[in-house]
Amino acid sequence: MPWYLYLALKQLFPTGRRFPFFTVISILGVALGVALLVVSTSVMGGFGYEIRRMIVDTQGDVQIRARGFINDPAELQARVAKVPGVVATTPFAEGVVMLQCDRKPAFPAIQGVDVDRVTKVVPLERYIRVGSLEDLDDDSIVLSAKLAQSIGARLGSKVEVYSPLLLERLKSDEVLLPRELTVVGIFEIGHQQLDSSVVLVTLRLMQDLYGLGHAVHGINVKIADGLDADVAAGRINRALGAQSSAQARSWIEVNEDFLFVLQLEKNMIFFLLTFIIIVAAFSVTSSLLISVVRKTREIGLIGALGGKPRHVAACFCFQGFLIGFAGTVTGLALGFGALYFRNDAIRVFTQLTGSEEVLVRFYQFSQLPAHTSRGDVTMIVVCSVVISTLAGMLPAWRAARLKPVEALRSE
Amino acid sequence: MSNPIVTARALAKTFRSGDGRIEVLRGVDLDVAAGESVSIRGESGSGKSTLLNLLAGLDAPDAGSLAWEGAPADAGRRAQFLGMVFQSFYLIPELDALQNVLMAARMLKPPDVAERARAKDLLARVGLAERTRHLPAQLSGGERQRVAVARALMNSPRLMLADEPTGNLDEHTGEAVIALLLGLCAETGTALVLVTHNAAHAAKCARGLRLHDGRFA
Ligand SMILES: Nc1ncnc2c1ncn2[C@@H]1O[C@H](COP(=O)(O)OP(=O)(O)O)[C@@H](O)[C@H]1O
Ligand SMILES: [Mg+2]
Repeated sequence: MPWYLYLALKQLFPTGRRFPFFTVISILGVALGVALLVVSTSVMGGFGYEIRRMIVDTQGDVQIRARGFINDPAELQARVAKVPGVVATTPFAEGVVMLQCDRKPAFPAIQGVDVDRVTKVVPLERYIRVGSLEDLDDDSIVLSAKLAQSIGARLGSKVEVYSPLLLERLKSDEVLLPRELTVVGIFEIGHQQLDSSVVLVTLRLMQDLYGLGHAVHGINVKIADGLDADVAAGRINRALGAQSSAQARSWIEVNEDFLFVLQLEKNMIFFLLTFIIIVAAFSVTSSLLISVVRKTREIGLIGALGGKPRHVAACFCFQGFLIGFAGTVTGLALGFGALYFRNDAIRVFTQLTGSEEVLVRFYQFSQLPAHTSRGDVTMIVVCSVVISTLAGMLPAWRAARLKPVEALRSE
Repeated sequence: MSNPIVTARALAKTFRSGDGRIEVLRGVDLDVAAGESVSIRGESGSGKSTLLNLLAGLDAPDAGSLAWEGAPADAGRRAQFLGMVFQSFYLIPELDALQNVLMAARMLKPPDVAERARAKDLLARVGLAERTRHLPAQLSGGERQRVAVARALMNSPRLMLADEPTGNLDEHTGEAVIALLLGLCAETGTALVLVTHNAAHAAKCARGLRLHDGRFA
């Protein structure tokens, strides 16, 4: 090891000293910044990941919609199925209904799905908590968990459904009874909005309720794993032709604004939290500057022993780097430790403050999600090591400028 | 002189501080032969340290020439060519005695087993065989200066420059350090330039010089 690296190490961890205070404090400063960055980007990443997964799980990878209705979905599906990369397709119709159970009303969004095909496109069965999607027929309904809870419906409960069409007919004094449906399943996606206000029925029932005939509102498409959704949407559009009013859009495109906000939010948090590392770096700079001043005479002696100024500079830069490196490693350990215990920590916290519901209500997740991307971690590591090394620059430059004669004269 | 270690000719140094100019050295000639010991005395502020720094190549003269073993002085050779001892010992506080001595070798290359053995041997010769693992803070002034002497000798230099090495020591301890310095330099054939206030110490050197008014009187 060249002398300047050796001396850098020794200045940070002096011989015979068990607890190098300055060093530990400096390292902790960087470590806290890194840990905070890891935790917050992971949690942000987790929210993003969950939201994306929910979007794909409920909308499919690509969605085809027309201006108005798709009147011949079977023909369209057949054409789309031939597009390379398309794995499965399923038609859907959507709307809003009024629903009543024991005189408790609700106004959920309703989705009519093709029971035979829907699970090939979106893994709805994964979210069914009670009952089964297979039991869904033209006289039954699947409710979201929160909705079921709020109207007091259970598996086997009867609910009455009023469609807008029904209300339209009521106006012209026809007497029509609401559809009575049996609850055969309850699902929970984990996203508050979706869970509280969605119901699923068969496509046929939905077409009936809305008077659609054979028409549907759209077709959800599943594409091969690893295939880019935008690329697939482009291929489908070419297959549909320019004359067709139906248009395919990837989930990324459909939710563009939302995803943009999500990414922007994450970038902003990263940007802001980087300042913690910068603040820590300032403390590294100041403690190294103090050390340069304190060690003026030793730096002079190093000169008298034959040390070159650029090696003296390297000695201090290396100290900054070492603090950054040790801080980053400690910070990663702290951060991943915190992520590992995050749900326990939150449980303790919410129990202490009695705010369990708040978390679910405002953040729409029953558990704190975390998804650490390799890119984020690389970015954090590079940032903190580079910033800490830069923090050593000013002290290094000061030290290198010291002339041995003058340094030795300073008493 | 057959074997000159240092050849200085007409060294001059002027310091500017604010408006004033201090002509510290006005033409110093000095020849030191191999293994020779030379003492330099002079009043405080007469320029002894300034001269030593010039001889060490730590500072550049305004005029005059300096040669080490016949070749122009060059900072790159300093670590190998000379060792220095100062009034304040300038040990590195984070390193123990042995590591401080080894630091001189480290400036040239990472030390190997032989160099470690040599450093221990040097510490033994300055009477600190039992104190190699002590930090400077755990050593007395005399002991620290002895570590500094061992460090200055570590790279087997041709020249030893000592700037009032006993200035911070009591008389008795100072006596011992000077004896050690002279003894070791004689033993290893190292030329010694000793700056001192003490007439008795100066008398122990082969040659005595007096710096006055920027010249050797
Ligand atoms: N870097 C400097 N700037 C200005 N004056 C200096 C500097 N170095 C030395 N001097 C002056 O030069 C004179 C000689 O200093 P020095 O060589 O340290 O004397 P000595 O070692 O003989 O006591 C002193 O008057 C001192 O103030
Ligand atoms: Mg002096």
